[in-house]
Amino acid sequence: MKLADDLAVEAFRAEFSAFLDAHLPTEAEARERSRSTAHVPGWARRWQRTLFDAGWLLPGQPPEYGGRNATLPQQLAHLEELARRRIYHSFNPQGLGIIAASLITFGTEEQRRRWAVPILRAEITAALGMSEPEAGSDLASLRTRATLDGDTFTVDGQKIWTSGAHDADVLLAFVRTDPDAPRHKGLSALLIPTDTVGVVRRPFGSIAAQEDLDFNEVFLTGVRVPRENLVGPLNEGWRVANGSLGHERTLLWLSYAERLEDLLRDAAGAGAGQEWYATLRMDLTALRLLGYRQLGPDRDPAGISVLKLLGSEAVQSATLHALEAHGAEALAHPARTGPYHHMHHEHFITSWFERYARSFAGTIAGGTSEIQRNIIAERILGLPR
Amino acid sequence: MEFELDEEQRMLRRTVRETVAKVRGRSEEQQWETYLRLGWLEAPPLELALILEELGHAADPTPFLATATWFAPLAGRLPEGSGTAVFDGTGRYVLDADRADEVALLTPGGVTVVPGADIAAERVAVLDPRLHIAHVGAGDLAVGVPDLALMGLAATCVGACRRILDLVLDHVKQREQFGRPLGSFQAVKHKAADMYVAVERARALTHFSALTIAEEDPRRGDAAHMAKAAAGECQRVVFRHGLQLFGAMGFTWENELQYHLKRAQACDLLLGTASVHRKSLLAS
Repeated sequence: MKLADDLAVEAFRAEFSAFLDAHLPTEAEARERSRSTAHVPGWARRWQRTLFDAGWLLPGQPPEYGGRNATLPQQLAHLEELARRRIYHSFNPQGLGIIAASLITFGTEEQRRRWAVPILRAEITAALGMSEPEAGSDLASLRTRATLDGDTFTVDGQKIWTSGAHDADVLLAFVRTDPDAPRHKGLSALLIPTDTVGVVRRPFGSIAAQEDLDFNEVFLTGVRVPRENLVGPLNEGWRVANGSLGHERTLLWLSYAERLEDLLRDAAGAGAGQEWYATLRMDLTALRLLGYRQLGPDRDPAGISVLKLLGSEAVQSATLHALEAHGAEALAHPARTGPYHHMHHEHFITSWFERYARSFAGTIAGGTSEIQRNIIAERILGLPR
Repeated sequence: MEFELDEEQRMLRRTVRETVAKVRGRSEEQQWETYLRLGWLEAPPLELALILEELGHAADPTPFLATATWFAPLAGRLPEGSGTAVFDGTGRYVLDADRADEVALLTPGGVTVVPGADIAAERVAVLDPRLHIAHVGAGDLAVGVPDLALMGLAATCVGACRRILDLVLDHVKQREQFGRPLGSFQAVKHKAADMYVAVERARALTHFSALTIAEEDPRRGDAAHMAKAAAGECQRVVFRHGLQLFGAMGFTWENELQYHLKRAQACDLLLGTASVHRKSLLAS
């Protein structure tokens, strides 16, 4: 245990920092804002391509996938440097962090060439079709059916919450391919181009604004998908799903740390002399420490649940304190409550109400806080299911 | 930064656990002699945090905590025998003042070490029956709480909280009601998970405090406040959920849960509660 970073990590961080100084788009170049998590403006596509070519996009991957075979502590340093400067390295985060990453792990050579590399180079964008109206936290109960006839699947069903689907070129959708198998066994992962006949996408507004369009309902009716779009073996979709989410979970806590830092800055006035502001500092420090611990041999998949629970609840609690501290002033909406960062989504510098409302994305999406508590109780503490 | 215990530290933790389990039930004097013989009092801050967590887990009855984290940092040396210190300016509720061989007093003119026998110390009855707490009749005292003393109480508190969680988990796994183990009810699971997260958070901040003391990092003052505050917050969650989940069985003198609840509570109350240290953190 030591406070200083490893020298190899420090050198890595310095190299990346110098790269950013030299290549970051200017505020004038980055004027067009992205409107959803799968809409990437031209300048942002060029930016992502620059990172890909230099091996700074997903540094843990080999060079052909935009990386440099970096170690986990180096990957953390990369994300920390981006977070510190409030830079998004991709405006299609799910395409990059989940879909391309799972194609690299589970896909065929052809799928990597045709889908993963174009997603990484921001030539196309992708959305993740997991949740359904009747399958949220209980993903294994999903009902969308895919029937294989010869070399073609026919897909029928509905997805929901599919972030950015209306702007995405392709969906990675989880479907039921064996209706007779036990719940977890009969699932498969399919790549479905969104321009396929029978795919209908309906974006709908979030609590923040009717025109804030990222969520989608996706209706799939008689959608024909070639067998070559099957990702991983038939009926092994559960393994792909777990692997897909695992990609982004290890370092997911960093996004909560970034938000806690934003709160430290933006709520400094409201928090002056308030004990909740001290709690915020403690939560941020503890989250980082526990996150660093996940880089070493004590790493524990269920420990990710501790980080998510601690981080998302800390953000929510501090945001509510900040909202309340502003009293009637907090009624102003839309409003700006933090500085503008041209390389970042603007969501987190909006009104206190919106920031508080959006904090529920952290405690609901990607496994609710209740699910995280169940995981901790069952997998770490050994309580019976 | 690297926040993993190294192999030697893991080994130390194992040794401490085994030793503490072995000497449990022996006399206080025998336990104390064992700790001295193994050199635990000379342990550097991070190793001390590991030792204190295990002693907290065992509701240790010896004057180890006060000797290692109250006397030593103030006097700048280990005492002959056991020691304690008065550094909060009050002389009230001083750990082990009634039985320490040497007492370090912080005065406006600096630190004075006096033999314990020369101090007018009066043991007071407190909630934790295994703790020695005394009022010291000394005038002209100053305030200067060492970071190590806050870290020591935090580590002890984390150990006590971990013990409470261990006991609760055993209980809810075994006890059945309505034909199911209590631990299979989600209301129980969620409380247990919150206790676990509170312990992990407090332990991380305690280790950070120990690390900043060891490396003489400028953040060590803040880190000590964070550790003490987090341990106090942890104690609140763990006390409340722990006693609640144990049901009526935890409410008796005959169940060992009481010792650990009281040790955890005492660690929060000594040298400033969580709230006091959150305020100190804001002022820094």
